[in-house]
Amino acid sequence: MTLGAIKKEHLGQLVAAVGAHGGFYGPVLRDNDVCLDQVQPSDTLVLDYANFTLPPKGLFFPRSEVIATHGADGMVETPLPTGKAVLFGVRPCDAMSLTYLDKVFMEAQFADPYYRARRERTLTIALACRDPAATCFCTSVAGSPSGQGGADILAVDIGDALVLESATPAGEAFLAEYRKLLGRPSDNQVKARDAQVAQAVRKVSSIGSDGVTARLQASSESAAWEELAERCLGCGVCTFLCPTCHCFGLYDEEVGPQGRRVRAQDACVFPAFTLEASGHNPRTRQGLRMRHRVMHKFCYTAQSFGDIFCVGCGRCIVNCPANMDIRETLTEVPP
Amino acid sequence: MHDAQTKLRETAKDLLVSAKVDLVLGFQNGSLPLRTRPCFARNAADAGRLVWNRLCTNNLAVYLPRLFEKPANVRGPWTPPKVAVVAKGCDARSIMGLVKEHQVIRENVVIIAMPCQGMISLRKAEAAGASARTSKLDGDDLVAQACLECIQPSVPGANIIIDGPSRSAASDRFQRVKDFEALTAAERWQQFVAQVSKCIRCYACRQACPNCYCKTCFIDQTKPSWAGVGDDPTDLLLFHIGRVFHQAGRCVECDACVRACPVGIDLRLFTQKLVKDVEELFGYVPGTSLEEAPPLSTYRPDDSECFITDP
Ligand code: SF4
Ligand code: SF4
Ligand code: SF4
Ligand code: SF4
Repeated sequence: MTLGAIKKEHLGQLVAAVGAHGGFYGPVLRDNDVCLDQVQPSDTLVLDYANFTLPPKGLFFPRSEVIATHGADGMVETPLPTGKAVLFGVRPCDAMSLTYLDKVFMEAQFADPYYRARRERTLTIALACRDPAATCFCTSVAGSPSGQGGADILAVDIGDALVLESATPAGEAFLAEYRKLLGRPSDNQVKARDAQVAQAVRKVSSIGSDGVTARLQASSESAAWEELAERCLGCGVCTFLCPTCHCFGLYDEEVGPQGRRVRAQDACVFPAFTLEASGHNPRTRQGLRMRHRVMHKFCYTAQSFGDIFCVGCGRCIVNCPANMDIRETLTEVPP
Repeated sequence: MHDAQTKLRETAKDLLVSAKVDLVLGFQNGSLPLRTRPCFARNAADAGRLVWNRLCTNNLAVYLPRLFEKPANVRGPWTPPKVAVVAKGCDARSIMGLVKEHQVIRENVVIIAMPCQGMISLRKAEAAGASARTSKLDGDDLVAQACLECIQPSVPGANIIIDGPSRSAASDRFQRVKDFEALTAAERWQQFVAQVSKCIRCYACRQACPNCYCKTCFIDQTKPSWAGVGDDPTDLLLFHIGRVFHQAGRCVECDACVRACPVGIDLRLFTQKLVKDVEELFGYVPGTSLEEAPPLSTYRPDDSECFITDP
């Protein structure tokens, strides 16, 4: 574990220094919204956001990507991304989500070369939360507003400066490489960081989701699913915005005389997700689709990967046009 | 406002207890500040949860087509439900349109007309900050653009009227469209492309829209497939052009798509442009009456063709 510190006004220098060797992705303003994007020389990093609307998964597992083209010369696979990148400013919940995606795309039976190449070239610096949102519930799902899971470095905002702590050897190497810009924190800065960490965690409310896996499992035949799903509109907001939802489809498309193979995220809340070639659809009702989404995150992944695939970011709560609230679903669905 | 809520609860309770309807579609408090959520009230206790305030934004007509569709698991005869809907002007205009398109059985719907002062825009409220949220909830400061531009806050086709203060109709709602029209074709295209390139294809705009009841949306069809699945600009544009044009003569400007879009795309500008065109070319305003035939399902020899010949 190595420590570092940087004054906020010097962050631009860090961006420039890192940017000289590869991409620097961080929180910047785009169209009046704080988003995660490649930082341009004209950008200033924004540090006071609750979280981004879109999760960071898109940087590793994009909404869609062309993985091969085919034409007269046969099939040409898209080359893997190269070069180094630094991802700065993801919230700890989102950093944690990357460890879950790793289990699916890197550690399971089949590794995904595109996902892996992007993950391996990226150093992740998570930014601890000062003011968790009212919809945050990371502490109920194995996280914390200053959790280090999934991050190489955790940065904590202490007002005029950030205090950094490495969480992996790669993080340690980064702190050493940029030691000139990332000096060692003073004792007071370390104290300020500890106080910051302690106050933030108190702001995250618990949702009482203990034993949720067993409880949900017992609820699979409950009529409550249909009642709950009655107001669900069946849009893809909760899945596409969820940092851990990872389903995708492969599609061959014609583009003039050429073809391309596209991998695109899919969403289990859509009826077409389970539509079979025969025309039969085993999930006929929205209740069955919603049940699947919740069960997948809170039961099936717990069984197959040992983790609940929800990091408590609250995106599905904030953005659902019908105000479905996963916190209620978890605590209220009766067996 | 509070009186209206009390009366609404009584009305809903009466309708349910006397079995005049099976279901009252309304609003209840949500789980977040400034949010209500749709409420499917089936008994007196449910009716007691109904609320009426300036946060009742969702267009509840979106739920009607599926309620009038025979469920897949029912075999043999089936009786469609009787449904009361807590309706603002825009919701009722949607219902009128759905009746005309044979998605809703008029006799089975009881329209409870609510007094509407304009609904709060969550985006405006968030931008204004926490203090304004409480202090400005009464005036027009935080009211959604769609409500400021509403031509018919009163409810067409009302079966039951709940009185209360309501806003008056806007006189000119097309200023933004006029500004848009004043741009060159290249500039308009650029603005359209800039907006829709933010799209993540979650289809919340479509799902929140009462008019988008197609069993399979053209964008989801696979035989043939009309567009690719990815974020290739051609495919994004195709979805949006398809969606917007399918709203010609049908969009009631309720803003449901705009509210649902998680990435804040200015969908209203484009649908409103078509609303304006249809109004000017065919003299038709969707949802205002049950009798007038929609322009796209009728033909008159003197119908305008300028949108084909002179785009
Ligand atoms: S869920 Fe936790 S880690 Fe994520 S933004 Fe909220 S407080 Fe931060
Ligand atoms: S975001 Fe809400 S309305 Fe959309 S599918 Fe998810 S739960 Fe349903
Ligand atoms: S299920 Fe909801 S709260 Fe949990 S990680 Fe996904 S979007 Fe966040
Ligand atoms: S709601 Fe917004 S992001 Fe989703 S499909 Fe519609 S325009 Fe695109």
